[in-house]
Amino acid sequence: MPADSKSSQPELRRSVTPWGSFSWGYSDVGADIFVGLGLVLAWAAGASNVAFLFAGVVYVCIGLAYTELAATYPVAGGGQYFVMRGLGDIFGFIAGWAVLLDFTIDVTLFAWTSVDYSSQLLPALVNSVHPWLHFGVVLGLVIGLCLLNVIGVRESTTFNGVVSALDVISETCILCFGFLFAFRPQLLIHTMQTHWPSPYELMLGTSLAIISFVGLESISQAAQETQRPASIIPRTSVSLILTILIFALAYSNLALGFQPWHPITDAAGHHLQFWQIFPNNPDNQGKAVALLAAQVPYYGAFAALYVPVLGAILLLISSNSGVFGSSRIAYAMSTSNLLPSIFQRVHRKFRTPMISIVFFSIIAVIELLFAAAPALFPAVSSLYTRFFHGENGLDFLADLYAFGAATSYSFVFLGLIGLRLTDPLSPRKFKIPLNVPMRFRGERVEFPIVAVIGFIGIFSILMFTLFTHPLGRIFGPSWLLLGLLFYLVYRRYRRLPILGSQPRNWRTAQTEILRRAGELELMDEYVANVKASDALRAGQGT
Amino acid sequence: MSSQVHVTLAGALIALLVAGLVGATLWWMLHPPESYVQRIAAAAERNLERIVGSLIVAFSPEIDSAHMMALAAKLARGERSELLALYVIEVPYTLPPDAEMTLEERAALDALGAAETIANKNNVVIRTETIKARSTKQAVLDVAKREKADLIILGSYREGKYSGAPLGRVIDEIAADAKCDVLIGVEGKHGTLLIDESAQSNSQQA
Repeated sequence: MPADSKSSQPELRRSVTPWGSFSWGYSDVGADIFVGLGLVLAWAAGASNVAFLFAGVVYVCIGLAYTELAATYPVAGGGQYFVMRGLGDIFGFIAGWAVLLDFTIDVTLFAWTSVDYSSQLLPALVNSVHPWLHFGVVLGLVIGLCLLNVIGVRESTTFNGVVSALDVISETCILCFGFLFAFRPQLLIHTMQTHWPSPYELMLGTSLAIISFVGLESISQAAQETQRPASIIPRTSVSLILTILIFALAYSNLALGFQPWHPITDAAGHHLQFWQIFPNNPDNQGKAVALLAAQVPYYGAFAALYVPVLGAILLLISSNSGVFGSSRIAYAMSTSNLLPSIFQRVHRKFRTPMISIVFFSIIAVIELLFAAAPALFPAVSSLYTRFFHGENGLDFLADLYAFGAATSYSFVFLGLIGLRLTDPLSPRKFKIPLNVPMRFRGERVEFPIVAVIGFIGIFSILMFTLFTHPLGRIFGPSWLLLGLLFYLVYRRYRRLPILGSQPRNWRTAQTEILRRAGELELMDEYVANVKASDALRAGQGT
Repeated sequence: MSSQVHVTLAGALIALLVAGLVGATLWWMLHPPESYVQRIAAAAERNLERIVGSLIVAFSPEIDSAHMMALAAKLARGERSELLALYVIEVPYTLPPDAEMTLEERAALDALGAAETIANKNNVVIRTETIKARSTKQAVLDVAKREKADLIILGSYREGKYSGAPLGRVIDEIAADAKCDVLIGVEGKHGTLLIDESAQSNSQQA
């Protein structure tokens, strides 16, 4: 029997091109501004641009860290894998579990806002007018996406690419026409001076601004399917970071200095600035980009028709990425013995990880119930008002989204520092700037200053989230504690190290990773580094 | 309802900046430097354009190119190449150059007829030619020179009279002396290699 033909495992085909890799990330991160803009304007008011700038700086650090890690370790698994390899199994689990929270929230939050954007053209879907209809449609979307993923109808990379391209063009047009025809620098300065928020509101706004930058995980998750990942991923990641940062900063500054095409007035007939339509109005918060686009002179007449549709599609794609992202992460965690093997089980007929998909979809539905409850039941609404500062459904989802992202990103920075110290031999085709050379356990290593800055930034956002979000403060840590408990029981049951890590041969693993990635030159470099290091140690020993 | 437009220098500059930055970022992303492997692949592709401008598929009693004809037709269709099927009848020195060789001529008609059929099926224009010559090698090389051929396609097989030595003397000589590229296809046990032998033997045992 020809042994090779029978024993060789099929590998993921490397078919993701540079644009494909970018659009994987963009369909996830690009949708965030559609959600984040309204929320940040509602809370950070005249300092929204500052909130976005602060979150943007942290996001750049996160992006650079992910870029280096994904290019060095092009495997499916993303942040969870990097943290597990850098810090150990239990920290890998915490990071992965936090990402799983984000992905399940991603499903609900983006399905929710997708319906909000649709309501711009279909007023019956406005949450405050028909909460049950809104809830029913969101629930239908979540269940629908779950079923589609179970039967294996996957989103097409081409479709993602086309939608991403249309959205990049659309957002660039909105911003260009907006700045050209409706931007008043004096109004921006005036708004910043007269509507500067309180420190509490600024912290809250900043913690919400980070949700506009969540999703870089997608690029690293697709690393295993990307052509020449070590070369392509740094480019697509840096481009994604820059594009999203440009959009977020431009939108927030435009919104604060925006002179609407048609004057906006409140119930008393007073003129309102554009950003003033968001505070205390969840309906508007959920569709901020569509509202802004519709107010752009000339272009707005056209944009009002297509931006809600494009936004709804992009948000739905992002919601879908939550469904398959959670099952992918659970699969990767399960293969590393961080989760039970049941999450690896594949449906006989459909060949999809059905248990994983259904499990995390159920969690997404539970989150939806918590989010929709205040609008559906007045009694729950008063409960929320009494105990949770009257947070609405969108706030609840955004709180948890920010919490999950800040937690997992904090660990990714620590993982990066850990890997720089413990694995200096892996060739890094992209290295984040500002490094301090030093020696660690006999090896020359470079300590990443940016990772420390990023960690301080994201950790402060995590603190802001815990301090300013009553719901996030309770549900976020509860999610982590429940997960940890589950992990400890599972590891004990499997007789695996509970607080320590399983022994793994990372050298062999890294060679195999680079070989599978087609990065043969890097593989040669890695093998040479290992040999040189071993020879040096042997020389020192004698 | 009044409509207001506010064009300011700052706004216009920011608009330009946004468009420029987004455009430049995406352009940079979509133009990564080529890897060593990609440079090799690009060079090979450029070579292909040079190789497949004009093709000759050569036949003779010693050159069995029937199995290569379909490949040549598909190659010619894909690359829009000129295609010539050439049958060479080698006339021994014991006979006059224009001696009648009924069996060989009949074989030539069959081979070229099959070549035409394959070409027609693939929507490729083909020319056919039968030549009598003292040396098959020289005839093929002369026609290649006359046609300014880029590629000569020759076929052979492992079994039969060339058992153990798949390339006959003529094919060796053409490959050695041709001024253009030569593609030689050696048929593997008349195509049976495509079948899983282990499965076949198992089924036979059963």
